[in-house]
Amino acid sequence: MALSSIDISTEYIGEIVESSTSQFTSESRELNGAPPFGSFVKTLGALPVYGLVFNVCTHSIEPNRRATAYGLTEQELREEQPQIFELLKTEFEAVIIGYGNDHGPQQVLPPQPPGIHSFVFPCTESEIKALTNSGDFLRSILCGNRLPADDLIIASVRNAWAARASDMPYLVSIGKDLCRLIRDDYDRLSSIMRRISQ
Amino acid sequence: MLDYGLLKRQIDQMAVDASTLQDDFFARIDLACSEMDRWEDAWETLGIKIARSRTSWLVAQLGGPITEACPKPSRPKELTVIAADGSQIFPDRHEVANCFLINIGYVVIHYGTGERPVLNSEPTLFYDEDDLYQEWAGKRSPITREVVGVRRNAMELEKVVTLSALAHTEGRTCVGLTDGTLILWMLEGKPYDFRRETLQATLAGLERLRELRVPIAGYISDPGSADVLNALRVGLCPEQPPNCDKCPWKAAEAQHLLDLDGDSEPPAPIPCEPIAGVTDDMLYARRLKRGERSGVYRSASKILEDYGPHRICFFYVHTGWEIGRVEIPEWVAKDRELLDLVHTTVVDQVDKGRGYPVVLSESHERAIVRGADRDIFFKFLKDAFVKNNIKTEQSLKQLKKMAAAV
Repeated sequence: MALSSIDISTEYIGEIVESSTSQFTSESRELNGAPPFGSFVKTLGALPVYGLVFNVCTHSIEPNRRATAYGLTEQELREEQPQIFELLKTEFEAVIIGYGNDHGPQQVLPPQPPGIHSFVFPCTESEIKALTNSGDFLRSILCGNRLPADDLIIASVRNAWAARASDMPYLVSIGKDLCRLIRDDYDRLSSIMRRISQ
Repeated sequence: MLDYGLLKRQIDQMAVDASTLQDDFFARIDLACSEMDRWEDAWETLGIKIARSRTSWLVAQLGGPITEACPKPSRPKELTVIAADGSQIFPDRHEVANCFLINIGYVVIHYGTGERPVLNSEPTLFYDEDDLYQEWAGKRSPITREVVGVRRNAMELEKVVTLSALAHTEGRTCVGLTDGTLILWMLEGKPYDFRRETLQATLAGLERLRELRVPIAGYISDPGSADVLNALRVGLCPEQPPNCDKCPWKAAEAQHLLDLDGDSEPPAPIPCEPIAGVTDDMLYARRLKRGERSGVYRSASKILEDYGPHRICFFYVHTGWEIGRVEIPEWVAKDRELLDLVHTTVVDQVDKGRGYPVVLSESHERAIVRGADRDIFFKFLKDAFVKNNIKTEQSLKQLKKMAAAV
């Protein structure tokens, strides 16, 4: 999607606050408004960067102030302790699985990390399809550091499958890719396969 | 650098002394409570005695029975509470430039509506000659920390007034809270024109709130004041009228001390002395139940003679966490609806803040300028000066502080 066709002020879901070649962290635009675990996101710029959300956390904006329990429902908190919602923020981390150039999404790490303060958007269905047309993205997940790899594979494959209107042949081809990647650990492979199709 | 060994011995001794004093104190508080009960019906007589007395301490002026205790009224479901607090970077002649900064943190929290609150801060840099040097009583001198503090207080109040007026125009029920006293006692003894200038600004703000009928209150946590206790001390004095300057017991005590031979009769104890040292919060910790407030008293601070209709009154309140002192202008004290609104707001705020009004702690959090902020401020200043080709210099003292050699 071209930058000009997006209303940046209303459609972005986060803003990058930490960036590296392999991962980035974004502050969610809304409290508790992070994209779901395992969803595909992108940043816009000269070279768009694509990532897969692998961690979401909500915490105090100030390091020396911790959230404490109030014993109230969210509605009661919004009415009687509204300031706390201004003192919390939601952040999400994404592992980078590719970047875009003139030929479309490429499943390799970008030459430069996405810029700090870049806005983050959800990927469109066609982008998700392009990023997951082969099982290469699964390799990025399995090779990543400190990723909840199995659950991330399950969530991302289900998202990729949903983008293809639950097309069965696609699921079978991804299943074959997984077999090749995790062939030395049958129990792990069967657990992942079972949970994808649940 | 502290010598912990030497210090620890002194702290231990201090604790021993304090525990001895504590036992004596409980007896004093008991006596003060029974004195309070003694004046329950005859409070008007005590009020007249206070009005006629001349004491060396501040004495609360009674407006009702001294034993009065009012339960917390219910809070309006929809309520807006506003507060401002400030902090500053004082002028420092050892730094790169002569200037100072006041940062006003302010919050507007709407309760019962689910609306987003305003939590913000606004820094103001003062660098003009007029800001850095002031001429009062014909004398020109560099601005002092005390004057920066007074200016900061005025800016805090101004912010509360502006935000309260805005909330009022939006048709909201609102209460403004400030941190600490509304009595500008620090102006006593200051040059007349400085005092007038500061008072005018403060009173203009209070007048605006009075016109809008928006209550404002100053909350004092852990108050060390003893105005009500002092009223009881007046009650104990057998003199008619009590006059500390002509106290016969004090005179006898002085005479005894002057007697170098030490063979004179020990003087009779001063009648008001047995309850001296007790503070109002100790007294009210015994008298008030959770949520209750005391009666409303007028403060006798001398500066209040210039306050006109905004003369400051106060009450104590059992917040459930401590006895706090709440100061209000007289027009709030006389308007039962506004008084109740302040009472319920303060208790609710302390409850929400778990010990301290949440609007005050949040505005403090917004206002605070930490060491790291201060360093960045001076870095910005230095960078801006360098970019504009202005010569900057830090004093040798400052440089030494940054890198002290061994």
